Amino acid sequence: MYKNKKTGIIGVVITIIILIVIVIVSNVDIKGISYIENIFTSIVMPIQNGFVYLKNKIEGNESFFTNIDTLKAENEDLKKKNSELEKSLRELEIIKSENETLKEYVNLKDKYSEYKTIPAYIINKDIQNYTKTIIINVGEKDGIKPNMTVIADQGLVGYVISTTDKTAKVQTIIDTATSVSSVITSSRETVVVSGTLENNTTLRATYIPTDATLMENDTLETSGLGGIYPKGIRIGTIKQIVNTKNIIDRYAYIQTAVDFGKLETVLVITNNEE
Amino acid sequence: MKKILVIIGIIITFFIIYFLQANFFTWFTIAGIMPNLFIIFVIFIGLFIGKKLGLVFGAIFGIYIDILIGKTIGPSGIMLGIIGMIAEYIDKSFSKDSRITIMSITAVCTAVYEIGMYMFQIIKWGTIIEIIPFFKILLVEIFFNTILVIILYPIIQKLGQKIETIFKGNTILTRYL
Repeated sequence: MYKNKKTGIIGVVITIIILIVIVIVSNVDIKGISYIENIFTSIVMPIQNGFVYLKNKIEGNESFFTNIDTLKAENEDLKKKNSELEKSLRELEIIKSENETLKEYVNLKDKYSEYKTIPAYIINKDIQNYTKTIIINVGEKDGIKPNMTVIADQGLVGYVISTTDKTAKVQTIIDTATSVSSVITSSRETVVVSGTLENNTTLRATYIPTDATLMENDTLETSGLGGIYPKGIRIGTIKQIVNTKNIIDRYAYIQTAVDFGKLETVLVITNNEE
Repeated sequence: MKKILVIIGIIITFFIIYFLQANFFTWFTIAGIMPNLFIIFVIFIGLFIGKKLGLVFGAIFGIYIDILIGKTIGPSGIMLGIIGMIAEYIDKSFSKDSRITIMSITAVCTAVYEIGMYMFQIIKWGTIIEIIPFFKILLVEIFFNTILVIILYPIIQKLGQKIETIFKGNTILTRYL
């Protein structure tokens, strides 16, 4: 109150800057800062190379450098070959990726061909940290009703909990209040999958049968029990199995098939009741 | 007339906050955790306008949020209403002229709101209690809200005093003179 006005403004500006830095640092992808690594490397590594050269000289490893011209030429030749190989590898990777995408589309078409779906855009994500509901831009007028299943290309998203004329509210599978009866595709064991507060891509599988054999990377899909979700929709893969003292309490973390952070479009299954 | 204008202003501000929360703060996060501007807003109403309006606005805004995005209607309404009331009670005991006081009130109210909401979720939906992830989110949210209060404090203080004069009259405590 008795402080200088200027000091107060400077304080606010500094706080804003600190907040922006915290937000950027806390959300930055470590892969995205490789250019910083490059800068630091380019400062240190030439000097380090010099030191190594000197060290080799002193230790009498001169023979290593005797045929330096031949080695240089050889190195150039290998670099050229390497670059050509890398180029062909990239081309192959592109072809492989295209092939996989096409296969995925064909599989999806076959897999979900029995369902009538309505495409929709997500127009609002949840504004609180502990719940994970979304709003989509189709509603009653488009034939959407509560309890209809919502899916994306990669798998299950959730189900409709309420509708208005032009929008529908969807409770996602990552919400802690959601439980989905699912089966492990390899062993056909039934488990219950529910959302966690951990992050937006992790689910927790509980009620695992005591005699069930779980393997990491096993996939899970809906069991069709419970009356909301149709059978056979992919949920995710087992990321980690947590064994407890009592085998009844053991659980597993599931990596969702759908990337909820990047989710923008979904499909609502409209004929599941039939 | 001035009171009506202030109330209209509050309603407009609520919508601005909603759009900020739904768009800007879904990506401007600390480790994926959003702040809760509604709590700050309701504290502001409770502190400077009074508990009746704090309670009423808190409850209405909360119910509106529940209708828009919630799984069930009520919890946000109840909790924001409580925050509005708490703010007025705190106003009687502490000075609003201190930045630290407003920051502390925000931190306590954020904790009360989120713990209340989480308890409701556990009771209503039977969700598994995850204490560590819950407190991790809560601490970041408290930190974020407090930082925002530091930034918004000059606006809160100036606007608040003007609004307080309109609703409560001159609030100088003559017993101190």
